[in-house]
Amino acid sequence: MNLRFVISASCLCLLIACAATTISAQALDISSGGQPTITGTLGGSVTGSASVLNNLVVTINFGEVSPANTNAIVKVVVPIGIRSNQPYQVSVSLAGLGNANPQALQASDIGFGATNIRAMGNQSQVCTLSSHIFYPPFNNDPASTVTIAANGRVTYQSSLSNIAGATVILSGPRLKKTNGQNRGTNDGYIFDAIFAITPQFFAAGVSSATLTFTISAGPNVPC
Amino acid sequence: MDTKTTPIIMRALLFTVLLVAFAATAFAQTTTGTVSMSATVSKFVEFNSGGAITLSGNSGGGITTDGVVDNPLAASINLGELGPSNTNSFVTASVPLKLRSNAAYVLSMSATVTSTGSTSNKIVNTDVGFGLGSVTRSGTGVNTGGSDTNATSGDPTLAGNGSINGATGRYEYTAVKSNLSAFSASTTALNGAFILNAVPRSNTNGLTVPAMFAIKPQFYENGSTTVSVTFTVTAP
Repeated sequence: MNLRFVISASCLCLLIACAATTISAQALDISSGGQPTITGTLGGSVTGSASVLNNLVVTINFGEVSPANTNAIVKVVVPIGIRSNQPYQVSVSLAGLGNANPQALQASDIGFGATNIRAMGNQSQVCTLSSHIFYPPFNNDPASTVTIAANGRVTYQSSLSNIAGATVILSGPRLKKTNGQNRGTNDGYIFDAIFAITPQFFAAGVSSATLTFTISAGPNVPC
Repeated sequence: MDTKTTPIIMRALLFTVLLVAFAATAFAQTTTGTVSMSATVSKFVEFNSGGAITLSGNSGGGITTDGVVDNPLAASINLGELGPSNTNSFVTASVPLKLRSNAAYVLSMSATVTSTGSTSNKIVNTDVGFGLGSVTRSGTGVNTGGSDTNATSGDPTLAGNGSINGATGRYEYTAVKSNLSAFSASTTALNGAFILNAVPRSNTNGLTVPAMFAIKPQFYENGSTTVSVTFTVTAP
């Protein structure tokens, strides 16, 4: 009777160990990729952790984006860390920024792109059979794709208006060599999410929005 | 349970707890991150020269410092001779103004007139006619549907805006806000809706309007006169 109880407890432990292994096998993680930066701002700022070990929590204040800001563009670069031991994809969703006045800041007035994926370090998985792919139209630096529309308003190759629900912007093969669950400083990849606003004669007001980046299992591509 | 089995079970349970804690550590990874953003657009107005000044009817004098389009207005004009030796009906100066804004605007003006004479026959502020001409909203990015209210009576040389005083014989600008006495303190001359849609500052279009000044040559007391006018645009 007692022996049976011990065996049962051992089986339970084994099951839990298997569960833990399963969790390990499905490791997907998104974090800060380093210190965000801002240029061209008048009274703005960006805050976020410089450590790739910390969660991705970034706050951007673009500052003044009326013509009182005489800079050509306000640009923010947010490095994002990603880790996985399986093929992955990164999607982004948008909340907020519902200005009814068409002359006020709209989602299309905030350029948004993703570029420059690079390995964190020697525990980053280098795959030769598949590439990390930034999805069009987001595969650009919006500060470099500024054009003037027929109505005189600035447009970008991609902007927040291209986000509809959870929109995939990046996918690829596994990102880290190990199956360990802990974040390391050298075991994943970093890419840059870039935001840009050209100061214009927008209608006066304060606008805000929140982007949520999500990493999940992606297309099953070989490493 | 006997006393030998109990420690074994306790160890198994402890091991289970450790494994659960280990699993929880795995869950500590996160699959989402957030980027919150905000931006501010303040009311913005801009006032510049709308281009070259036109001086006509003058005898002598000339434009000392002309207006340069899209540059700050700092013009200087010598109206020349204003005594009866100038046989033209009026000496007029038309000064193009350019306004730009992302909000409803108010253009105010104040003016001073000082003459060296000592009698009532010297040139005073009522002798300087003033009015704003036609307002033009055109070009890419301009809010062409916006309306404007001109508080002046327009071209001061129009027959309806002035005449010779039958009693004194002096020419007077009689219409509403048609001479500089109406602007001895800062007074609204023009106001209207926002001027530019959401376009960058590099877009040079805007609202243009001529500021027209006129003096009719008369038997004024001899001397020199200085007229100083200051325009101010605000977005209240």
